Amino acid sequence: MRIQLTVNGLAYERDCAEHRTLLRFLREDLGLMGTKEGCGMGECGACTVIMNGRAVNSCMVLAVEADGATIRTIEGEADGPSLSDIQKAFERNHAVQCGFCTAGMVMSVKELLSEHPKPSADQVKEAIEGNFCRCTGYTQIVEAVLDLTGSPEKKGELEHV
Amino acid sequence: MVYEFRYLAPRTAAELAAVLDGHKDDGKLLAGGTDLIPSIRNGVLKPKVVIDLKKYSGADRLSYGADGLSIGPAVTVNDILRSKDARERYPALCDCAHELASHQIRNRATVAGNVVNASPCSDMAPALLCLGAKAVIRSATGERVVPFSQFFAGVKKTVLAPGEFLSAIVVPAESAGARGRYLKLKRIAGHDLGIVGVLMTRRDGELRFAVSSAAPTPVLVDSVTEKDSADEAARKVLASVSPISDVRGTKEYREHMIGVYARRLFTEVK
Repeated sequence: MRIQLTVNGLAYERDCAEHRTLLRFLREDLGLMGTKEGCGMGECGACTVIMNGRAVNSCMVLAVEADGATIRTIEGEADGPSLSDIQKAFERNHAVQCGFCTAGMVMSVKELLSEHPKPSADQVKEAIEGNFCRCTGYTQIVEAVLDLTGSPEKKGELEHV
Repeated sequence: MVYEFRYLAPRTAAELAAVLDGHKDDGKLLAGGTDLIPSIRNGVLKPKVVIDLKKYSGADRLSYGADGLSIGPAVTVNDILRSKDARERYPALCDCAHELASHQIRNRATVAGNVVNASPCSDMAPALLCLGAKAVIRSATGERVVPFSQFFAGVKKTVLAPGEFLSAIVVPAESAGARGRYLKLKRIAGHDLGIVGVLMTRRDGELRFAVSSAAPTPVLVDSVTEKDSADEAARKVLASVSPISDVRGTKEYREHMIGVYARRLFTEVK
């Protein structure tokens, strides 16, 4: 099937197998390897991208379903060598270790901040409940977001484990 | 995915009914895809044709009128949570929606898909049962309406016949304003299938409980009254369920927690 979609502001038109997931389409057809495949079944969130303004698991969306959609991926975050504010906050707060979950985490946080510019710690935790990190243990990730937004809840209130 | 299928996206409800009628044996409806796509990937389902119901006009309609809240088959769980009508009039529906899976999944998963999937651990079913919601079922030959109390037929089974689809869910206006709370026991604080889930609603002295993950289907209990004690309420709820032991918990643990939740809700939902 012929599909048209916009990814990170660029318009694409491609032939795509009807059973292909959006994740595979982004990685293998468009070469956007920043979005990762972890579990492939909606548990881990490594494949999170923003589709029409909403964070979704791209492993559970068919590319043909995204015909006409507007997609944002991690590749759309940095402007050349300059990281986005969310990426800088992650770096500043050591919210990245192996990096495999980071692309998905950043996209989930991006959707959260588009709706709630000053989220509480609980809102941050809920936004990333579908993103598994097996390294940093989430605390630094929540701190990074609160550091960026200057949210009312101070980062010192979070419990390190 | 290695498994190949055809993809069809009808543009009207009538066309969808006709396409589905032509693929009764080899077709599967695609709503949010959060159950269907992993099932195809795992080889559990092997449809020849996947029929997307999100692309017909009106599929994503969510509106409140004289009949109540009408939920189209493409309305997502997060659409419910973002709806002012749902939040103000049907807090029990929102409480259940909020407990379903993770934020990303709620952005895709549909209310209709959650009930058509008919998992015993459905999180939307308790709300639709307690609120007296009805399923509007459509096919190429007509339409019928079935209350959700008669919708579930077994584990992963509903009364939908081949060629039929759930074209709307109607939560009646009479149920607006019912107070309610859903307690869902999970292994982790984040997204997980429930070990058990208990919803209680209360409106004009009418009490209802619904329980998930405790029987082959979600269970409605409407025999509890204001005159009961919390212990009597819990006994009535427990008499209606038949939980099993599985990877998420034992039968005994489930029964114990259903009792704990029923007593707590009976006392706290005023």
